[in-house]
Amino acid sequence: MRRPALRSSPLALAVGIAAVASLFGAPARAQEPVCSAWLIESSRFMNVPFGSFMPDRAFVPGSTKPESNIPSVDLPVNIGVIKCGSELILYDTGWKQQDYLKMTGSDHWAPLPDQLKTLGFNAADVTKVVIGHAHWDHAGQLSDLPNAVLYVQREELKAIEWALNYPEPHIRAVNSDPGGCNRTPACGYMPLTVEEVYGKVLKGKAVIVDGEMEILPGVRIHPAFRAHTAGSQLLEVPTSIGKLVFGSDAFSSYEGIRDWMTANVQQTDTVQQFLAYEKCYKITGGYNNCVAAHEPLSYTDKYPLTKNSWVALNGGRMAELTLAPGEKSRKP
Amino acid sequence: MPSGRSLLLAGVFAALAATAGAAWLHEVPLRQPVAETVSARAEKAQLPALTADEERFATALWAVHREATRLAVAMSFAGISYQTEDRDVHAFARKIQPMAKFFQDAGIQVRAMSAPASLSTTQDQYVNAMALYANAAAEILKFTEDGNSQHLNDAHRMDVLASEDMLRVGEVLWPGQYKPH
Repeated sequence: MRRPALRSSPLALAVGIAAVASLFGAPARAQEPVCSAWLIESSRFMNVPFGSFMPDRAFVPGSTKPESNIPSVDLPVNIGVIKCGSELILYDTGWKQQDYLKMTGSDHWAPLPDQLKTLGFNAADVTKVVIGHAHWDHAGQLSDLPNAVLYVQREELKAIEWALNYPEPHIRAVNSDPGGCNRTPACGYMPLTVEEVYGKVLKGKAVIVDGEMEILPGVRIHPAFRAHTAGSQLLEVPTSIGKLVFGSDAFSSYEGIRDWMTANVQQTDTVQQFLAYEKCYKITGGYNNCVAAHEPLSYTDKYPLTKNSWVALNGGRMAELTLAPGEKSRKP
Repeated sequence: MPSGRSLLLAGVFAALAATAGAAWLHEVPLRQPVAETVSARAEKAQLPALTADEERFATALWAVHREATRLAVAMSFAGISYQTEDRDVHAFARKIQPMAKFFQDAGIQVRAMSAPASLSTTQDQYVNAMALYANAAAEILKFTEDGNSQHLNDAHRMDVLASEDMLRVGEVLWPGQYKPH
């Protein structure tokens, strides 16, 4: 009599556990918001040699192969705008063009507050800013977002500080020309940008993240250390078209993620970049919902997630990626 | 009277021109969307090349600038570390003291450089940036002595202004000092 009871009990136990789990799991899923998302082009770096962006796409004169017959590309600098209920989140913040910082070869820059306004948002209403990394062209304009809490990885900060104190001048160099840095570990962290990060810390509006963190139900930061810089981080966002993963420069190129090619190698371990790609495949079920920072095909049919696009301020482009139920379209 | 060959050539030329025009019209909306202005393009016109004297000044200043840039970032990080890691005012002061000296010395050094008249404003801006950084460092050191956080706010404001001044100089002398990352 006991043996049948024993045989049936694991099944009963499993059913019981599943029932209890569903009691707790269902409300948790119900609380998980479905977010809306847009992409805005902070600026565009023009005529960048394709090979300097993606080594496997380097131009070969006379070649008819599609992977090697494009000499240069225009690279957008993309910012993610994410609305989850009453929370307005930015993923990356572009950079701030000034009379003293024009960046020769850059076009279509517009101020982030003005760009947000064209979407119907106020810069002061941004509640959270997640920077994929702290390079000058991704973590600028923070002082224009006075109420936003900044999320940055501790690993990113520690690695920059380490590099700054390295004895070899080339390894500790911050700026490029003449004879400065190219892709060494402190390269690209300009003083104004880092001081604005410090400004957030000083005002008590920064969260120093150690690895993974859920910043809202279902909205998760994932570390992608050394996928572009030492402390790169991704952002998983639940939407009505499935999960999106914003990747900043860990996902510089959509084609790179699709074709498993490395892109925008800076302070990068390419193996870690591929593992970041894999993370997006695992989270989203493919490559189409991976949001790239500099994909030249952004805002076109060839990058389907971003095809619902239009031209906005100063020729910069925007795209409506997905809308939560009840959320109004902001496409003009 | 034009020959048949000339007419043929003219026809080919007209067809090519029409094709190029159509291609241009097709490309324009993609590559230069509507709001791109002529003035925006004009602003980005190439800066004139530096003269030999200006080059000499730029080269001499670069030696200071390279280290000043690094220490400017390091000063921000000293603050970040203090706020987020150890809260150790003595360690904070030890990091800032050599920076204060560097920026004071750098200001004197740059002021003593022989700059061509065309770059006197640029030189003044750089001297001003070094003074702001030196004053910011001094404010931080006051904080490490009296604990008044207003010193840190003042230092932050000065650091932002100084970094803007350094960018102003960089825009003239080293416009490629920051590349897309």
